[in-house]
Amino acid sequence: MSGLRRPTPDSRLPRIAIAIGAALLSLILLALCGIAFGHAPGELLSILISGSVGSTFALEGTLLKSVPLLLTGLSVAIAFRAGVWNIGGEGQFLAGALGAFLGARYGMAAALAASLIAGALWASIATAMRLWRNAPEVLTTILLNFIAIHLLGYAVNGPLQEASGKYPQSDVVAASLPTFGSSELHAGIVIAVVAAIGAWFLLYRTAEGLRLRASGFNRSAAKWAGVHVDAQLVRAMAISGAMAGLAGGIELLGVTHRLFERFAAGYGYAGIAVALLAQLHPLGTLASAFFFGALTTGAGELQRTAGISSTVATFGQAIVILAMIALTRRRNA
Amino acid sequence: MRLSHITKRFGANVAVDDVSLDLAPGEIVGLVGENGAGKTTLMSIAAGELAADEGTIEDRLTAGVVHQHFLLVSEFTIAENLALAMWGRNAEEIIRDSGIELGDVSRRVGDLSVGEKAKLELIKAIARHPPVLILDEPTSVLAPSEARALFEVMRRLAAAGTTVIFISHKIPEVLEVATRIVVMRRGKIVVDGGVMGAEELAEAMVERRERRDASEDGRPVRGGPAVEPAALRIAGLHVHPGEIVAIIGVAGNGQSELAASLRDSLRGQVAHIPEDRARDGLIAQMTIAENIALAEPRWRPREAAHRAAALIERFIIRAQSPLQRAGSLSGGNQQKVILARELERQPRIIVAAEPTRGLDIESTRFIHDELRAAAGRGAAILLITSDLDEAFALGDAIHVIYRGTLSARLTPGEAAVQAPMLMAGVGSRESGAGA
Repeated sequence: MSGLRRPTPDSRLPRIAIAIGAALLSLILLALCGIAFGHAPGELLSILISGSVGSTFALEGTLLKSVPLLLTGLSVAIAFRAGVWNIGGEGQFLAGALGAFLGARYGMAAALAASLIAGALWASIATAMRLWRNAPEVLTTILLNFIAIHLLGYAVNGPLQEASGKYPQSDVVAASLPTFGSSELHAGIVIAVVAAIGAWFLLYRTAEGLRLRASGFNRSAAKWAGVHVDAQLVRAMAISGAMAGLAGGIELLGVTHRLFERFAAGYGYAGIAVALLAQLHPLGTLASAFFFGALTTGAGELQRTAGISSTVATFGQAIVILAMIALTRRRNA
Repeated sequence: MRLSHITKRFGANVAVDDVSLDLAPGEIVGLVGENGAGKTTLMSIAAGELAADEGTIEDRLTAGVVHQHFLLVSEFTIAENLALAMWGRNAEEIIRDSGIELGDVSRRVGDLSVGEKAKLELIKAIARHPPVLILDEPTSVLAPSEARALFEVMRRLAAAGTTVIFISHKIPEVLEVATRIVVMRRGKIVVDGGVMGAEELAEAMVERRERRDASEDGRPVRGGPAVEPAALRIAGLHVHPGEIVAIIGVAGNGQSELAASLRDSLRGQVAHIPEDRARDGLIAQMTIAENIALAEPRWRPREAAHRAAALIERFIIRAQSPLQRAGSLSGGNQQKVILARELERQPRIIVAAEPTRGLDIESTRFIHDELRAAAGRGAAILLITSDLDEAFALGDAIHVIYRGTLSARLTPGEAAVQAPMLMAGVGSRESGAGA
């Protein structure tokens, strides 16, 4: 492998090239797989593109999908940068939505704040288990996802079920995000973009961000350099959980307006693909979330016009992750 | 078996320097020397595990080697591990042959005590009846009774004509079991002979060094009783501002634990030069500027790059740019980056562990000068080193660490006399501290 080592490891360009390559590769593979179902590859691609960015309506759908993906992607990027394997975006997303639902009684600001706090607290359960019992967060965060899913299930079948008692869903939430004109696009997109810039600033322009990244690269060396690595773990996990929680809150306040059993719909897990394609860079997450948003919206169009299940979007995510792993070599062997 | 004029280099470092050694059947050769004296390297060459750069081996015999670190599969049973080494032979029979007792062979190796694992390694090594058996620090993990049992096995094998080579730095054990003692120092054999006294052996292992007079290397004499209160004070150890106190000892006697405990108990107040440079030194993936800024309260990329550029110049670090990845620097230059970062903090206390290990003369001298200069500016420096030359060159006072216990504070003059014995645990008054 040593012969393949890139001569200019500091250059940023190859990293972006790798990400674009992985994204293109996933599109090509998707189109080729379409052949198996009797569709011309070009036809599938053109439906995907026109269905995601081909019209104002399609673009709006894509942006709507991009918002939660951007936030869960940031959540994963911050955690992974700190060397914390938070796979619990799904659970933190739900915790955030529940928090927002309860907080909405006191207004929009309270709803958003509650979603941040609920997500952070839910993630911090895993931190506590890691610090006190040395339980690996990669396991505990996943397990907390299941607990959150069932907690939400209980809530919408019990205490939070709609007044009419008809369906396992909540009443309409007491607050909702303002939208742009007559479109469905809500203010959450502004919040998400600000969050991405904020995350970039935190990681690359503050001393704490520098220490957080150092802990992620080499915990032991960071410790010797005087970094309080456990504090970094606590902080990274809380911020990561808060981002995922905010995603859940915004989805509730801007899109669904109700809680229901399958509320998370995989946004938490999709965040991993978003962050990896972005090479864990907050600004890269902007592009990568848009790509996956488009893929999801385009896949919906594929289902309507070509009869291909929209789960191909998930398939696309998986291919991107595999392609990223294949294209990035271990940098520091 | 005859080794003649063997030389082995690792980079610029000569591990074995023109060594000749004859081995006769039935001998128990005690091969002793400080860490890094070249014992293990020489024996790896004898065993054919490593090729010599120069020199020849005549009448090469197969050697069974028991390594310092176990080469066992923890998830396998004793029988399975023996099957890996000697396919087709019954495990219990192999063990009976060896004359070593090891109980039930269906036990998982991961569940065995270290003493039992050591026995299993030994059984593996002698199962093929090698004419030469090399044991690399076999007693370091054994209880005294287990060590005695091992010596019995060694004597029995020697009586049957096997050449046993026993690598150790424990003088009492070597004196007890060896029929011939070979002392290595800095890659050369300095003594090759029969039985000698403990003191004689200790002195042969560690060069007796006269303290270099302060005026010789231009350092002002900092004599007299220290008047300032100690900046660093832990049980049995105090370091005053402006003073360099060296801790010497054979590796593994608690040096790493001491440094780590200072790191954790005085976080942020102490500048550290960590012992394991490869693992703990720098964040290889980050730039030089980022690494240097880790210790700073604030992070402004441009400011940090300027500061790093200045430090690169001042510390003569061979780097293309402050934005170069730290991992792409050579070992000596990485160490200088660490030094630059830690000294830039203007620390009151510096803990430097093996600051020049593996570095070339130029970098070593540079680092020594910087440490002296830091002491001159009033820093209290604790130097943890296994390089005695370094300890004597820099230390105003010296402690010997042995089995986690520090000796009394010695002047360099006293240390020159007592250190070898204290390092080997000879004549040390162990005050029951077992850790």
